[in-house]
Amino acid sequence: MGKKVKKQKSDEATKRWVSGMRDAFSEALYEIICEDERVILITSDTGAVCHDLIKANFPGRYINVGIAEQNMVGVAAGLAMTGYIVYIYAIVPFVTMRCYEQIRVDLCCMGHLPVTAVGVGAGFDYNTLGPTHHGTEDLSLMRTLPGMTVLSPSDSVMAAAFARISYELPGPKYIRLDRTGLPLIYDKDEADFSAGLTHLREGKDVCIVATGRMVKRALSVAEELAGKSVSVSVVDLYRLKPLNRELLLEILGKSARIATIEEHFITGGIGSLVAELMAENCVYLPLKRFGIPDDFCREYGPRDYLHSLYKLDLQSVARAVSDWVKG
Amino acid sequence: MSDRVLDLERKANWLRNEVLEMTVAAGAGHIAPSFSCAEILVAIHYGGVLRLDPENPKWEERDRFILSKGQSAVALYAILADLGFFPVEELLTFTQKGSRLGGHTEDTIPGVEAFTGSLGHGLPIAAGLALGARLREKRFLTVALLGDGECHEGSIWEAAMFAGQHRLNNLLAIVDRNGQSATDFTGDYLTLEPMEDKWRAFGWEVRTVDGHSFPELIEAMKDVHDPSYEKPLCIVADTIKGKGVSFMEREPIWHYRIPVDEELDIARRELKWEKK
Repeated sequence: MGKKVKKQKSDEATKRWVSGMRDAFSEALYEIICEDERVILITSDTGAVCHDLIKANFPGRYINVGIAEQNMVGVAAGLAMTGYIVYIYAIVPFVTMRCYEQIRVDLCCMGHLPVTAVGVGAGFDYNTLGPTHHGTEDLSLMRTLPGMTVLSPSDSVMAAAFARISYELPGPKYIRLDRTGLPLIYDKDEADFSAGLTHLREGKDVCIVATGRMVKRALSVAEELAGKSVSVSVVDLYRLKPLNRELLLEILGKSARIATIEEHFITGGIGSLVAELMAENCVYLPLKRFGIPDDFCREYGPRDYLHSLYKLDLQSVARAVSDWVKG
Repeated sequence: MSDRVLDLERKANWLRNEVLEMTVAAGAGHIAPSFSCAEILVAIHYGGVLRLDPENPKWEERDRFILSKGQSAVALYAILADLGFFPVEELLTFTQKGSRLGGHTEDTIPGVEAFTGSLGHGLPIAAGLALGARLREKRFLTVALLGDGECHEGSIWEAAMFAGQHRLNNLLAIVDRNGQSATDFTGDYLTLEPMEDKWRAFGWEVRTVDGHSFPELIEAMKDVHDPSYEKPLCIVADTIKGKGVSFMEREPIWHYRIPVDEELDIARRELKWEKK
């Protein structure tokens, strides 16, 4: 255990890693699996780039438990109790909600076990599969669990970094991934994700706190409104728990208004998180929360189309923010 | 009857008395579910099944015992204290203000492996432990004690299927088959029959015993450390909930009741309680 083995990095997969968070993460995880024989991946019959590589090169360290997520969490806990560093992997609703009580008891009550739950399919990522496959409550549910680290990457550089960060952190972790590609926000060689959030852009009129895919949207909104004399600050809140309260409060205090945007139910997500933080700390600023309202999305079609239904598309958000600022 | 069996029977009677006094002092705890598995717990802890070291609770080669039916924590705590995992005096703090001994097992208590109490969790964890032992080439045995009603949980059968698939022959599940759950008789509202055939169908070797008979329990577990079979083993232990106190036996109301007044006198008399 703990012995280093020779790296067997896949060039083919490396080419793909900038294109999507899922591939970037799984490629980085594969590197870790090559380095440390204590690392093991369990899925409930959900595929990703590195799975076949692990199966081929490290038999026994990739386990498909079948479509049985409750057992997946218990088995992960048991393996972690024997010294393994375990990743469990499935589509967001199934790796969070289907086995939520197992995560609560087996991972969080027994808080020392190094198990990372990886959910693929943030928000409407599975845009054609309907609400059963939408990831719209996961951040809320996971951030309420004591001891849980909650990570929500905004690009592939960060997703890859989170594979390494989750490997090094003790205790239970949740990582929320997008399948698809996004233009990169961070430079691979310079990125430091230890603070829990990044102040990507300064602005005095409104500070938009965003997470996941919506960080890019917030940056586009800021760009769009810069030409209309609205100054927008953007915060990438990529670690919801533990929250860097001090840094977030410091940034929030620099703008006249606060907005949040997330591809998640507003209830319980970062909109709730920021509201709680402001209320508790006497930050009496106007707050507007963009996200999915209290409703299941029964529409299908391109993800952008689903965003437009809830006014999360670039034009709708930009207009709403502009109208708000200009009063 | 051999001296060894007599010793184990004395220990089981001691355990029932200990459980009764702890729960009466606390005004809380599950008596009948603990009485149901008293012989099972004594057999595995004192009958040469589990290899443990109270001086070194985290000894890497120790056998792992998961009390999946975590409501019998009071009985397990009494045994762990008796074995020397923590001071016996602590038992009378059970569920009291400031005590670390609560109504369900916590993994922070010396000798306890997993946090249980919510049903259906113990067998999946035990399956992970057994698989981890095999992957790491460790020879320890993992034992999970399941309740009867607990077998209604789907996660038990997810884990049963998994253990059968992986042929976890270092895993032993014991079902405390008392025919009852919290409020009723399982056979009357959601039958688990045929219990043995279910486990066999999931790829397990199955042995059925009288769960209050030490000779039968010991015989059924004699080869668990060096199994000749290639499957996980399930012991279906037929038991009586509340065993040992006549008015508690098979009476659903005693799942979570504490005897008072005359009830307590009768219980103590039937358990041959001797005031310390």
